[in-house]
Parts: sequence; structure tokens; C-alpha cells
Amino acid sequence: MSLIFLIGLDATGYVLALLLVCIGLVIIFGMMNVINLAHGELFLIGAYSVVYTQSLGAPFWLVLIVAFCLVAFIGLLIEQFIIRHIYHRFLDTILATWGISLALKQAIIVIFGPASQQVVAPFAEPVAFLGITYSSYRLFVMAMAIAVTAATFLVLYKTKLGLTARGVIANRQMASCLGVNTRRIDRLTFAFGSGLAGLAGAVMAPLMSVDPQMGVGFLIPAFLSILVGGAASPVGAIWGAAVIGTSNSVIAAVWTPVIAQILVFSLAIVVIRILPNGIAGWKKK
Amino acid sequence: MLTVSDLRAGYSRGADVLKGLRFDVAKGESVALMGRNGMGKTTFVKALMGCLPHVRGSITFNGTEIRGLPPYRISNLGIAYVPQGREIFGDFTVAENLAMGVIGKPLKVDSVDFVFDYFPILAERRTQLAGTMSGGQQQQLAIARALVGRPQLLLLDEPSEGIQPSIVQDIAMTLKRIAAEEALTVIVVEQNIDLVFRLATSVRFIENGLIKTGVSIDEVRSDPTLVSRYLTV
Repeated sequence: MSLIFLIGLDATGYVLALLLVCIGLVIIFGMMNVINLAHGELFLIGAYSVVYTQSLGAPFWLVLIVAFCLVAFIGLLIEQFIIRHIYHRFLDTILATWGISLALKQAIIVIFGPASQQVVAPFAEPVAFLGITYSSYRLFVMAMAIAVTAATFLVLYKTKLGLTARGVIANRQMASCLGVNTRRIDRLTFAFGSGLAGLAGAVMAPLMSVDPQMGVGFLIPAFLSILVGGAASPVGAIWGAAVIGTSNSVIAAVWTPVIAQILVFSLAIVVIRILPNGIAGWKKK
Repeated sequence: MLTVSDLRAGYSRGADVLKGLRFDVAKGESVALMGRNGMGKTTFVKALMGCLPHVRGSITFNGTEIRGLPPYRISNLGIAYVPQGREIFGDFTVAENLAMGVIGKPLKVDSVDFVFDYFPILAERRTQLAGTMSGGQQQQLAIARALVGRPQLLLLDEPSEGIQPSIVQDIAMTLKRIAAEEALTVIVVEQNIDLVFRLATSVRFIENGLIKTGVSIDEVRSDPTLVSRYLTV
């Protein structure tokens, strides 16, 4: 019984971690229609910013804020100097962001070296509840994922800025004709989505081996989640992370991680074949 | 108020739809721009709004050169646009659509409720998704969304398109009232002569990207050959 509970908790943890990565990606890919292959590297920079600021002795909450702001700023630069020239050339965004991803990864290797770095969790005492013991930091990651998702939804659906951003996404030209500075909104949206990737990297860093390849491990399931969930709205990220995350961790617990990958990819292909607009797109109809 | 001279514009380089067009509108006028399909009516309003990539010539609004400015700056100078096909935000509620009309404005608008006086149906449907409303209601919403930003000049592109005749009459009467009460200057692109007679004070006829003639609405009423010359195919 407690084993099933433990698997359930692990699955929930994976789903929420995936959601944390997806939520930034869905804003940039789903809403701005840019396939950002550098998202994994933005995640990476978030994790490395923890390595650096921790070595300076900064408290963890400050580390998280720094990671968000630093990566948001990098996102701002990427948008300003590269992406804004190629919004209307969908395929070129893939090529350009792939180039950015290589450059960022190499920059990290130049600065920190290729070896993996150790990040210490700010707290790691196991907590005992309902007959099991569980890492308190893992519980904290779950809480962060829920909080970040909730905050993103609040910004998008309950603030003027969110309404403006959704308006620009729905009809750029009309929003501009109504007096909205669409360039400003593009910059903000891209920076916000990037910052979320950095925050995800920072939050996840103590749970992972921080090395220059860590971004890829989350990027692929995150893209898969968005395709399965539906790219058009952030609700899709929740559906996708839930389906991909749950099936992956449950199958991995029952069989092996390799079989899990094969089955999850096959499942994703079937879902996308039946529901081209994803789960959220089907619910809408 | 608006002075356009030697306006050349099109959708791709070297293929101008407008070929050196001149156009003047005085404050308080309601001008109808009429002409057959493909003569450049929509191109003209899009060029005014800054929505076209290749625009040359001069467009001054209240003494400011606006050619080359991005649409949001033109909007914030006091020109509002109701495009062909309405372009409302279908997934947004009526209230959110109206909010989009003021959200980018430099001056904070205290209330948008004055438009419900002109379009009471929108007050009843504040929380309804705009995409689920009828064509006539969507057109009223598009006009209201343009008005909430308190413009001085209102551009309307085919407001009667796809709307049943009785509603067109209502909209024309309401527009007339709005123009008077809000001290608006109006440029309306329209093929529906009934709406033009109810709303406009003068008419300009456009042909092959040039304004051919400008006359008062009374001259159009007394000389039916004008309309047949510029409108019938």
C-alpha cells in the first residue's frame, strides 16, 4: 500500500516538475508560435546560476529570484536581437534557436567546464507522513510547480497585462490598431517565458546532476507534453504534463525506464494522431 | 484635420493600389468613400492606420505626419479603426473586447460604460463570449471598442457587410448620433447607399487608386448617375 502511495507521489513529483518546465515553453511555443530549442539551455542557465550564487553564499530564495531575472534578461536579449526578425518565418526560428542553444551550452562549458556540478538542496530532511518518509525538498518542488503555474494563470487571465498579451496573441494587427504596443508585449512575453525556464532550472538543480547536457533531458518530454496537451493554451501544458508524466513514471516503476520511454512516445503519437490540437483542443469542441 | 497627398501604397513593392491619392477631411465631416471592388478603398484605410508595409506620400493628422508610424501610435493620436470583417476577439467576452480598446491608451480611461448608451445590447451581454454573438451584435461591439478610446477620427470599413438590412439601418442611425454627440469626424468605406445616405455629409468616389470626385451628399441624392458611374460594374 505504501509502495503504491510512494509511486503515486513520485509520479506526481515528476508531473509537477514537467509542468514547471512546460509552463514557460507553452507561453513561447504555444502562444508566440516560436519553437524555442534553446529552452533547455535557458533551463540550464537557471541551474548554473544556482551553482554560482550558492558559491557566493546567497540564501536560496534570493538564488531563485536571481535565476528568474537573469534568464528573463537573456530571453529579452534573444528576442530583441534574433527572434523579432524571424517571427513570421516559423521554420527559421527552429534553426536560429538551435544555434542559440549550441552557443549557450558552449558558453556554459567555457565558464564552468564540462564536468557535472553539485548543488546542495537548501533543506533535505526527510519528512514522515502517512506511513512513508519523503524528501522535504521534493515536496517543496511540487509546491513551487503549483505556485508558479497558479501565478502564471493569474497573470494571464486576471491582469490587464495578461489580457493585453492574449489580445496580441489572438490578433496582433487589431491589437496594434487599438493602441497596444505589440513590440513591448512580445518582449515581455518572451522574457517571462524564458524567466520561467530559468526558475525551473534553479528549482530542479538540487535534484539533478547539473551538467551541460541536463537541458535536453527535460526539453523533449516537455515538447511532447505540449503537443499532447494542446499548444494553444496554457491549460494544455497541465493536461500534457499530467498524461506524459504519469504514464512515464508509472510505467518506469512497473517495468523499466527504457520501456517507459518507448511506450510514452508511442502513446504520444497515438494521442496526437487522434487529437491534432491536443487534449485541451478537444475539450474545447 | 486629415490631409493626405500623393499617397502611394500597396501590398507588395512595385504594385501600388493607391497611385498618388489626395484626400482631405475637415473636423466634424462624415465622409463616405465609395467605389467598386478592387479600387483601393480598404487599402486606403489600412494605409491611414499604418497597417501596410509600402506606403509613400504624406498623411498628416492634426498637423502631425503619421505616415510610417506603427498602428499603435496612430491609434493613440486619436484615430480609431473598425476593420472590414469586424476583427473582434472571439474568445474574449464583450467586456474584455471593450477593455482591449482602452488598454494601450496613454491616458487612463475611467469608464467605458458610455458606449452602452449607444449599444444597450452590449450591456446585457457583457459576460458573453463575443464570438457567439450575431454579426450585427459583433459589428456594434467593434464600433463600441473603437469608441471607448475616445478617438477624434473614426475609420469604418464596410460596416454593413454581412448584416441584415434592418440592423444596418439601426447601426447607421446610431453612428449618426455618435458622430454628433461625440464630436467625431468619420470616414466610412461603404457600398451600401442606404447607410451612406443616413450617415454621410459628403461622398468621395475612388477609381483605380485615385479620388475621382468629391461631392456633398445632396448632390449624390439629386444625381443618381454619379452612383451608377462609379459603383455599377
